[in-house]
Amino acid sequence: MSDSKKFNWTGWLIFAAILLFWEYGSRSNPRLQLYFPPVSQVVIALAQTFVSGEIVNHLLTTLARFMAGYFIAALVAVTAGIILGYFRVIHSLLDILIELLRPMPSVAIIPVAILLLGIGNSMIVAVTVYATMWPILINTVDGVRHIDRTLVATGRTFGLSRWRILQRIVLPAASPYVVTGLRIGLAIALILVTTAEMVAGSKGLGFFILDEERSMNSRNMYAGIILVAGLGYALNRLFLGLEGKAMKWRRGMIARETVS
Amino acid sequence: MAPGDDRKGNGLMIRESKLNGVLFLLALLVVWELIAQAELVNPLIVPPLSKIFISFWSLVSSGQIPLQILVSTKRAAVGYLLAAIVFIPLGVLMGLFDRVHRALEVVIEMVRPIPPPVIIPVAMLFFGLEDEMKVFVIFFSCAWPILLNTLDGVRGVDRVLLNTARTFGLSQGKIIRQVILPVCSPQIMTGLRVSLPITLILVVISEMVGSTDGIGYFILDSQRRFRVSQMYAGMLSLAILGYVLNQLFNFLHGLLLPWHAGRME
Repeated sequence: MSDSKKFNWTGWLIFAAILLFWEYGSRSNPRLQLYFPPVSQVVIALAQTFVSGEIVNHLLTTLARFMAGYFIAALVAVTAGIILGYFRVIHSLLDILIELLRPMPSVAIIPVAILLLGIGNSMIVAVTVYATMWPILINTVDGVRHIDRTLVATGRTFGLSRWRILQRIVLPAASPYVVTGLRIGLAIALILVTTAEMVAGSKGLGFFILDEERSMNSRNMYAGIILVAGLGYALNRLFLGLEGKAMKWRRGMIARETVS
Repeated sequence: MAPGDDRKGNGLMIRESKLNGVLFLLALLVVWELIAQAELVNPLIVPPLSKIFISFWSLVSSGQIPLQILVSTKRAAVGYLLAAIVFIPLGVLMGLFDRVHRALEVVIEMVRPIPPPVIIPVAMLFFGLEDEMKVFVIFFSCAWPILLNTLDGVRGVDRVLLNTARTFGLSQGKIIRQVILPVCSPQIMTGLRVSLPITLILVVISEMVGSTDGIGYFILDSQRRFRVSQMYAGMLSLAILGYVLNQLFNFLHGLLLPWHAGRME
């Protein structure tokens, strides 16, 4: 965004001022404390639930469901996306089905998943897989279909087998699209895990936050939200770090293209 | 192969592929109907398609589904429009004045990683189960795509254009209206387009978590009462709503930015 080299003093000062104003306003108006508990007490609540292990359990549950859902979705969607992008016949069979299913908001699948799988881990993971698959699938199909035909033809001329072409040409050429899909999927997976936990869960951060709201314990509720936001931020950072490492070769290519 | 041949071949392929897809879809639906009629799977979970369509039709003609859809659409529209009204101007301001951008940057980066559904309990704390709760949740979750796309658009405006406008002595207001908004309208549209499915998702989630009406509540409630074909009928109407909203957006896009709409997708 803006010059990230320089430390943004104004921005941080304003952020600190908002927190201070919140703290002060809350302490001087006890009536407001249900809605805006003092920031310091939210931090203390976060620390307390961390030490007691209560929130750690919820965090680990959510993380495990997220990981399971995300990785299964990535595996299934990338594989299906390559098949759909590579073989025209299969694409022509499934294209309309995909276009019909896509406009339905993915969370609407939660009731069906509850019917099929009851309430529990498998339901939450299944729902996450379903929703996370879409962006990965669509982007992978796009990526494979946008590959320069000459590349594949060149591979064939050199006598590469189908499998080798897939491995050496199709996958690398489509990978920028796949990575875009995986990045969008990351946010969606976290949304779906927390949603499913709110709608039908007895564990996990989504459940924790909603439950604390229902018992009017807003300190713990805000503490849970800070933790979820932190989780989202950390996962995004981790992804960008891995992407930077894995896609280094591509940055070089883009630079070369723009220079020439 | 000559390029002309290639194009003709593609056109044929597309027509053929649509036919294949439709046939395959019909086959799937027939298989579903047969399996359900033969009760190979629990009919409580997978009712026959015909039953779902009958249920859909009676719910539509009795006015129940249109009513729920209307309730949800109203909430979605208010939240979405509010977000557009607040965050497009804010994005323009932030893009034009680096000082505003730097002042708000940290706050935005701190709030943005919160997954939108997690805001629902906060909104329930403040607004209870009222309409305002859903409107706030939608407003919050549409904020980021609209704000960041507008900001990117304004920051990407060619400096030469801006300086030219200044040289001609245009006022700040005129520069915004006649230079900045037209130039970055495609990005603003992108933000609005990305927000559309987000709006729909969040209205459904917030109705599932805390509501007594709306299509999201209707679907979850049907499941809890084991009225399964009614649940599927609700999902069908939701898919139709998603499709219609998308078409409506494309139509408005073509109306507002005819020079640009054709180039997207």
